[in-house]
Amino acid sequence: MEKTDLTGNLTIKKIVVEEEAQGRPITDRILKRLSGIPIEWGQESGSKYDGLDSGKETLHLLSFKGEFLKPCPGTREYYICCGYQILNVATNCPLDCSYCILQSYFNHPNLRIFVNLEQELDKVMQIIDSEPEKIFRIGTGEFTDSLAVDSITCWSDLLAPEFSRRKNAVLEFKTKTVEIDRLIASGYRDRLIVSWSLNSPYITAREEHKAPSIEKRLKAARRCQEEGFILGFHFDPLIPHPQWKDEYIRTLELLDKYIDPKGIIWISFGSFRFMPGLKQIIRRRHPETCVLDGEFIQGIDGKMRYFKPIRIDLYSFMREKLDKWYSDLGLYLCMESDDVWEASMGWSPGNSKGLSNYLDNRVKSIFG
Amino acid sequence: MQIQKTIDGSLRILDLKNIDDQLGPYCMSFGFNPSLLIQSIEQVGLTNSPMMVEDKQGRVTVITGYRRIQVIRSLGWTKIPCRIIGESEISPLECLCLNLYDNLATRKLNDVEKGMVLNRLLLWVPRSEIMDHYMPLLGLPSHEPMLNLFTRMERELNKDVKEYIAQGHLSMQSVRSLIDMKPESRLLVFTLMSTLKLNINQQTQLFEYLDDLTHIKNMTLPELLGDPPVGRICSDSHMNTPQKAKALLSYLRNMRFPTLTDAERVFKKRLSGLGLPKGVKVDAPPYFERPGYCLQVSFKDGKELKNKIEQLSRIQGVEDLVDPWKKQI
Repeated sequence: MEKTDLTGNLTIKKIVVEEEAQGRPITDRILKRLSGIPIEWGQESGSKYDGLDSGKETLHLLSFKGEFLKPCPGTREYYICCGYQILNVATNCPLDCSYCILQSYFNHPNLRIFVNLEQELDKVMQIIDSEPEKIFRIGTGEFTDSLAVDSITCWSDLLAPEFSRRKNAVLEFKTKTVEIDRLIASGYRDRLIVSWSLNSPYITAREEHKAPSIEKRLKAARRCQEEGFILGFHFDPLIPHPQWKDEYIRTLELLDKYIDPKGIIWISFGSFRFMPGLKQIIRRRHPETCVLDGEFIQGIDGKMRYFKPIRIDLYSFMREKLDKWYSDLGLYLCMESDDVWEASMGWSPGNSKGLSNYLDNRVKSIFG
Repeated sequence: MQIQKTIDGSLRILDLKNIDDQLGPYCMSFGFNPSLLIQSIEQVGLTNSPMMVEDKQGRVTVITGYRRIQVIRSLGWTKIPCRIIGESEISPLECLCLNLYDNLATRKLNDVEKGMVLNRLLLWVPRSEIMDHYMPLLGLPSHEPMLNLFTRMERELNKDVKEYIAQGHLSMQSVRSLIDMKPESRLLVFTLMSTLKLNINQQTQLFEYLDDLTHIKNMTLPELLGDPPVGRICSDSHMNTPQKAKALLSYLRNMRFPTLTDAERVFKKRLSGLGLPKGVKVDAPPYFERPGYCLQVSFKDGKELKNKIEQLSRIQGVEDLVDPWKKQI
């Protein structure tokens, strides 16, 4: 069977093209780039009981019927949410991190690319332009990896110019990959943030299957920084594991080695949390994983999360180390409570609005 | 498939010793309580004759009425009237369906019997048809994992476990967990569960703890359950069965959640050290997740309330009560 290597270990073995996706410019571009891969025309075959494994190697091109811009599905009651917005360009991811919540989040296992983005982008921009006083912090990396398939979708070609000319929005490309060439080649820098999800080398090697090492990610980040991009980093999910403090220090040392902290807009921390149903999927798909070993309790939003003092310990440790590195990194917690903020960060935005303002101010201070 | 013809068979009196004692290929009966049927046959006799299929050599196989035959045998009868159908008149699948519909019309099949139905049908019917037609008929969700679960349950579990399932003592989640275990582990866990008579919630907890702990500690189930404290709990003559069940789960919980259970212990100890007045209770939020504790005061009148409030205000050290993972001032 024909297949195409995307980045190192990533492969596409089949393309499904739905009827409404046919003839769209993005579809044509992708098919041209992936010529030789078997194509299935029409509706997706298979059900949600079909494997996620084969889904990761199936590129599914379709027209998305819903809203392209939507709030990040953070639960705002009790836990403080940053007010991020998702530009929904695709769902699922060719990487295979054992802890990935997308394994249970979507019914369809395929890597689904929404090829009507080009036509729908105007509507997104209208929404942004209709509220000039508001800062839109938008990302494409919540339901997929922002850059893993950029070499074939060319999202950066389409999105970078649109966001670069807005003064009230930033677009964050959140990735674990080193697929930065296209974005760099776009020539656009303003209002764009390239950010990397980081973890300890132990977790990366053991749990982030098909993803490049931390050092490779940081080398790519340095290249982006040298090319004039503003960077972000996300330590999410933080996972306690044997010698976790030493292991996370190794990552922080690499961060120091490759990155100038002055060019960082924010660094977030989040500890591993998941809907209860994900556990079985992880056990089945990743029997050797250590991500389920922690002391999880059911949080107020129904998600499983580490017992509070464990979370506080994780965040405090990371905050302390990063504060020593540079004092103005825009550190924040993802989906945490006011008391955890206070106990681990030494301050709290108080509520979601407060965190939103804090991050908006980071945008203003960095991009003007 | 539909059986469009009326199948009566010819009525004949058969010697019971010529009827096989074992469950044949068309019957799905497991773990039934014969007392009502015994009573019925004793009172009014056999009102509905079993149906048999007869091969060319004159050997008969039960299509319907297996339970009636067993009861009649136990009552000491030596002969039984049966309706006999020649094997050329009916296909094996028709025999199977006759039994299935005969049962469905009169009673609810237990889960083991549902597994038997599905395994027998799989010999004659494509999986897709089983999922589309027969699983809804049995009240089961029509999908492959469920089909696998029920057929494996019937094929792979031993008689004791199946009886426990047929009696409704095991949740499907527990069945699934048992099936996925190695036989040695399965036997150990089942023995523990049935000896301690764990209810459905306790079973779920047990499986979760065992699953997590074997992964975390990199131990096998026999190693984990061979831990001396487990044996001590199970053989402790000072505890009754529900107390043993509670103690075992508590022991495993402590092992699974050392930080949480330690916090709960510290909180309890700190509270008891305060010497709260009688009828005054302080509750922590579940898992200490939501900030804030709850004070509950029981009183019979305002005078007693005032008295308790005054007592509370005089308690030394109450102002030092903090989250259990924080050091007290």
